[in-house]
Amino acid sequence: MKRRAFLQAAATAPAALAASLHEDLPKYRIVSRFPPAEKPGMPGPYAGVVGRVHAERSIDETSERVDVPTVKEMIAQGMRALTGDSDARDSWARFFNSADVVGIKVNCSGAPGIMSTPEVVGEIVRNLGVVGVRPIQIWIYERFQNQVNSVHYERYVPAGVHIWTAEHDRGSIAGYDPQTYVDVNFFGEDDTRSNLARPVSEQFTKIINVPNMKDHGAAGVTGCLKNIAYGSFSNVARSHSGVKTNTYSFVGTLASVEPVRSRTVLAIMDGLRGVWHGGPFSPNRKFRFYPKQMMFGTDPVAMDRLLLNVIDAKRKAEHATSVWDRSPEHIKRGNGYDNNPSIDRFIREPGHIEYASTLGLGIYDLNQIQVRKVEL
Amino acid sequence: MLGFFLAVVLPGLYWDQGPQTADAVKKAGVERVYVPAGQQAAWQAAGLDAQEFDAAKLLKLPAPGVEYRRNVAAATSMPWVDANGWRLERDGRHSYYYDVPWRKAALAAAEAYVYDVDAVVHPEARDLSAFGQMLGFLGIIGSPALPVEANIGIIDDGSDQTGEVLNLLSRKNLLYRVIAAPDATFDLNVRIGTKEFPKQEATDPSGFATLVRQKLTDEKRLLRIYGSDVVIGRLNGDDHRLRVHLINYGGGKVDGLRVRVRGEYRHGKLKAFAENDAALTEYAVTDGGTEFTIPQMSVYALVDLER
Repeated sequence: MKRRAFLQAAATAPAALAASLHEDLPKYRIVSRFPPAEKPGMPGPYAGVVGRVHAERSIDETSERVDVPTVKEMIAQGMRALTGDSDARDSWARFFNSADVVGIKVNCSGAPGIMSTPEVVGEIVRNLGVVGVRPIQIWIYERFQNQVNSVHYERYVPAGVHIWTAEHDRGSIAGYDPQTYVDVNFFGEDDTRSNLARPVSEQFTKIINVPNMKDHGAAGVTGCLKNIAYGSFSNVARSHSGVKTNTYSFVGTLASVEPVRSRTVLAIMDGLRGVWHGGPFSPNRKFRFYPKQMMFGTDPVAMDRLLLNVIDAKRKAEHATSVWDRSPEHIKRGNGYDNNPSIDRFIREPGHIEYASTLGLGIYDLNQIQVRKVEL
Repeated sequence: MLGFFLAVVLPGLYWDQGPQTADAVKKAGVERVYVPAGQQAAWQAAGLDAQEFDAAKLLKLPAPGVEYRRNVAAATSMPWVDANGWRLERDGRHSYYYDVPWRKAALAAAEAYVYDVDAVVHPEARDLSAFGQMLGFLGIIGSPALPVEANIGIIDDGSDQTGEVLNLLSRKNLLYRVIAAPDATFDLNVRIGTKEFPKQEATDPSGFATLVRQKLTDEKRLLRIYGSDVVIGRLNGDDHRLRVHLINYGGGKVDGLRVRVRGEYRHGKLKAFAENDAALTEYAVTDGGTEFTIPQMSVYALVDLER
């Protein structure tokens, strides 16, 4: 098969050819002192099940103003759809109790244009309170202080909730656990370790993952897996060099590290806003869109599999290249990517989601994923 | 000309601000100075041990530091470190002279100390206090006679190309010694121009350093540094102890630096410049190596390890 034909075939049949495109994976060495839980949080008790709530009035597309009562209802309905409970309090109580220290992994890499919406995070914190988790036992966390600064979560949560970032100064590893890391040499970089954020290993008993719905120039899309993986470990940007990215295997590998895998017990994908090109950042509003939906689950693979379709459908509607496109002619380094949705920065690796399924993190096959839809 | 400083092997100060500044020099803790021609007597009368400075007898070194070349396209986003260690490893027999800009005097003094060379530092006047503080710190930590630790032997043809390879090896903390002929006591011998290390490969010094690293393997590296691109280390040691010198060329503080050395050392003690009460944290002896964290360091830190 000629290279061009091979690449096109890869675009049309991604699952079948993904493995053959990545025969030579990096050699990962995982160092962790944490044993897996008897029932790890991922894929958790609802493997292959996703609660999906759409509400047209959840956000105003012009002002981007969030309708708080609608968001509250979305979260309640979504938790009930996921668990089958008639009372959302019972749903929350399945996951959390008063003894837990809960980390909320927000995503602020696109702030202030897009981030884990503070109204959503505020409602999550409120629900934790209902089941007895005190504010002081709740940590909203992210890697970079400068990205969190513009969001002001403190205005949406009770006093006492910790808002913690690993890197006040970019590049410092003081906020990471030196004894929990993945060691891998991608491109000859000297620092071959990616360490886990300290509170994940030292403080939290449970984690709620709150990603957005975003395109991603390297990983294809960024949802549950990418947010919990690249968002909880240091020194991950080294996985990209030139047009090559190792997100295919690195995302799932990081997400599978204990205690991340065991402690991440719930994911709430915030799709009030979305980014269909240029992600994970969002400096340009023309690439934002408004799915006006949220997904609820314990299976990050299933949720991200659905996300792939959301982002790819939007890109198709906008006549942009598919997230599955690996054609070299669409890859251009430099500034073009920021303005042209037919230009890619890297060879995208949406196959990272299927790869994560091979690590036992969830179910990838759409035929095996049960979506419990709610329309408000 | 440096003979009267050799007993302590601490960097000297070249001070050209005139003998009227003698009190400031004393206040900075500096007792001996090099001064411009014709001022020696006046300085001695002011109570300092002074000697005339003669640049012709010294080899001038570039100012150490870091360049953040944000507007230059490069294969790596790492900052460019201007360090002289490779020059001093290559030929440390000279006496050296640093003429450094503001905030580099302490760094230059630390570099000269770590590489154990005779050097004179000419700082900006406003850097006198920092230089004096570093001199005081170096005097306290002492200089036990311990051999340099290296496990790569590199045969130097004296070319600029090899010099740049040495520079990149130093920058990547691949510890080497310049040798005249292959030596079986090293884990790896490098001679540019052989089948194993083709001359063509050395046209990309960074790539060549990577090649050396691959052939050595990370498992055999004597020193690994995690959490900074701008800290360069040097080791001195014997069968019982190891001195880990760490120089921060970045200009700011480094938080949470993680260090791994090959070999198992049960005890470690940190002495960090301008960091009172500094102590190693998260010390671990594991997999044939010793690891520890330096909570915070500025220009220079020394870790003494014992088995």
